[in-house]
Amino acid sequence: MLQRTVHPVFKSIFYAFLVLWGISVIYPLFWTFTDSLKNNQQFYFNMPWSLPKFPLLWSNFEYVWTNYNFGKYFINSIAVTAGATVLGLVLAAMTAYTLARYKFFGSKVLYTVYISSMMVPFALALIPLFFLVNDLGLANNRFGLILVYASNTLAFGIFVLIGFFRTLPKELEEAGAIDGAGYFGTFFRIMLPLSRSGIISVGIINVLEIWNEYIVGTILVIDPTKYTLPIGLAAMQVEMQYKTEWGPLFAGLLFTIVPVLVVYIMAQRHIVSGLVAGAVK
Amino acid sequence: MNIGKAKLQRNLFIAAFIIPTFLFFCVFTIYPLIQALYNSFFDWSGMSQHKDYVGLQNFKDIFDDPIMLTAIGNDYFLVIGKIIGIMAIATFFAVALTRLRLKGTAFFRSIFFIPNVLSAVVVGILWNFIYNPQIGFLNGFLSLFTSSKVEINWLGFESHTIWMLLPPAVWAGIGFYMILLIAAITSIPASLYEAADIEGAGQWHQFRHITLPLIWEQMKISVINIMMTTLNGSFVIVTIMTAGGPDNSTQVMGSYLYQQAFKQAHFGYGAAIGTVILITSLITTLLLQWLLRKEQVEVS
Repeated sequence: MLQRTVHPVFKSIFYAFLVLWGISVIYPLFWTFTDSLKNNQQFYFNMPWSLPKFPLLWSNFEYVWTNYNFGKYFINSIAVTAGATVLGLVLAAMTAYTLARYKFFGSKVLYTVYISSMMVPFALALIPLFFLVNDLGLANNRFGLILVYASNTLAFGIFVLIGFFRTLPKELEEAGAIDGAGYFGTFFRIMLPLSRSGIISVGIINVLEIWNEYIVGTILVIDPTKYTLPIGLAAMQVEMQYKTEWGPLFAGLLFTIVPVLVVYIMAQRHIVSGLVAGAVK
Repeated sequence: MNIGKAKLQRNLFIAAFIIPTFLFFCVFTIYPLIQALYNSFFDWSGMSQHKDYVGLQNFKDIFDDPIMLTAIGNDYFLVIGKIIGIMAIATFFAVALTRLRLKGTAFFRSIFFIPNVLSAVVVGILWNFIYNPQIGFLNGFLSLFTSSKVEINWLGFESHTIWMLLPPAVWAGIGFYMILLIAAITSIPASLYEAADIEGAGQWHQFRHITLPLIWEQMKISVINIMMTTLNGSFVIVTIMTAGGPDNSTQVMGSYLYQQAFKQAHFGYGAAIGTVILITSLITTLLLQWLLRKEQVEVS
């Protein structure tokens, strides 16, 4: 049928836009890499798009890792991301399962509280959070960040996981009851493994969110040895007003970007399905 | 007796699974939100002994504060700019990658999402480099066409610098909304398009009369989501790229809240700004829902 095909001219126009946008996404990553191998002179006397001169300054990576504490930031980021993701997932999964499967006094209200909290701009909470965390003695503390980040992931996690638990057939629990698994056994040995894909989706999306988070971190952490990568990067950029070290800055960017890119490439399907499930309210 | 025991067991299980999460959530999310609303009625420098009830004075001050009015204006500039930019481009790509039978769609789809997995801090620094007056891409590119080196300070205009923050914000937002719209389009029954093909309806006609009405609900959700994330989160890109400057001209509500509270210790005033963010966000949600509902009737 003729109508089915798109005119070749239109097709090439569409392709042109797609390729252009694709370049606008890929090229910044490419230049981040090439420019991380330059010294200051090359930034000031060559074009930003020119390739780095030999010898390539691989030492920029080492320099930013030790002199700018990115080694510490990296470890802090990993600790905070892992801790908050696991804590947030466990708490969210328990509530999501219960809300998906049981009706009890106040269950509707509880669901509404979690879901509507997603509508409230979190900027509002920053000031009391700062004082709360200080009062708890958890300022400048990775554990403090873990608690706050875990709490921030709950509403989204509960919302998406309720959807996943509801798709599991009810007969599974009945079978579990017959086998004498009990409530806890049914949850941990039957329901949790079966909702694996939903839990992985939520977990990975939380990992990305927490790894990239800046606002809360910059308010709760003042001690540079406790910075996570985004806070460290922002601080380094401010320092650049006094001493310019573009090569190391790009090396620092790569330390922040590469882990999320690896996670994205490995888990793309999970991320997309989780986000789609979370956005269809 | 047995029934009573079973019921007790069930309730114990529910309590054990609900209460820890909820207590945790109350402490770290609900309590700060409520406390913020409460604080906005106080003049407060952070010390508990200097916390004076001032009623609505903070809100009166907000509407007499020229920087706050600039900030609200900038917030809505970004909201409108991002809604138009992101929705137009994301819809275009979503349709191109689903309905036009092009090759390599999976590849483009995965590539386009990459900016969404980057931290806003990373996005801000990358675009700072593009705009950098001495060594940035933009001036370097423009210098190719001029005899003398171009040295425009892209982030230092006396006014309208906020325009420069729109491209990074749109660039970073496309992928996510494109994915949502792709999901909406692929869930449209193929039979509708087949019927349209048989009747000889062209691609534009199909988009206008099948795709658009059937993804309208998803577009509405996307628009509201863009609005909420912008009011709540433009803070990062502003802080990284301009720190609210020059001369507070690119301040948004979030960055101004941060400056007032954490740089100048006006915690009561900062809390009031937070309350304004909440109120504007809720009002705009209702407004958008109303506007887009009307539109939907016209379309279908």
